[in-house]
Amino acid sequence: METNHNRPLDALGDPTRRAIVERLFEGPKSVGELARGFPISRPAISQHLRILKDANLVADQALGNRRLYRLNPEGFDLLRDYFDRFWSRALQAFKNKIEETEGGTK
Amino acid sequence: MTAQAQRDTAVRKSISVRAGVERAFEAFTADLDSWWPREHHIGKAPMTRSVLECRAGGRCYSEHEDGSEADWGLITVWEPPQRFVMAWLIDANWQYDPDLSRTSEVEVRFIAQADGTTRVDLEHRHFERMGESGNNMRMMVDTPAGWSGLLQLYAGFAGKGAEPGEGL
Repeated sequence: METNHNRPLDALGDPTRRAIVERLFEGPKSVGELARGFPISRPAISQHLRILKDANLVADQALGNRRLYRLNPEGFDLLRDYFDRFWSRALQAFKNKIEETEGGTK
Repeated sequence: MTAQAQRDTAVRKSISVRAGVERAFEAFTADLDSWWPREHHIGKAPMTRSVLECRAGGRCYSEHEDGSEADWGLITVWEPPQRFVMAWLIDANWQYDPDLSRTSEVEVRFIAQADGTTRVDLEHRHFERMGESGNNMRMMVDTPAGWSGLLQLYAGFAGKGAEPGEGL
């Protein structure tokens, strides 16, 4: 089994998880508060939160007997990660193109 | 210059191409449209052409099906065929922003190799400028627009066959 959720890109590949992140823009929330906005069970929300946590996009903290989830500011590595992937792909496309045209002249 | 320690967030990539340095430079710049990923633009309609104006001060922009153009870059250093630098004029909200103090930049170097190939070194740096007043990228996280834009891009990009574990 693959555990590839440590990367933000993979963690955000799921629409429910993107929606959870959007909800957390409003501020820290408990699982119960988050679950109210979705047609899925609390355990399912918890599972999504765990994946987002593993990807460092979301952090949690205990507040009294509640556990609150919030966006993790370190998540800006997301941006770097995005460009890292973008440039890998763009440069490969560039290489393919130039070598195809160079090869085509022979 | 402040003495503030900035974490190095630059993205660096290298690729080797089977072409001379002049051809590699030309293909990267003048022929940008032939290889630039089609979905990577900030226009409002599907992109028809990606243009890089080959001179210092040249614009980088995309043309779209609805006839509009969307600027996203500015050539700040133009030294063919060795290197060029472009300001990446997209802010933390994924909108065009002409203020160079608030945007990241991309430097591309073309290095001729002994075997006739060219090594292309690319560095995308100064992401920290995209946050307000050097406030790192915190703003990206703290503003809905920043996140939403990024998530949309991510979603589109992830769905377009970016392969897990790819790299150079």
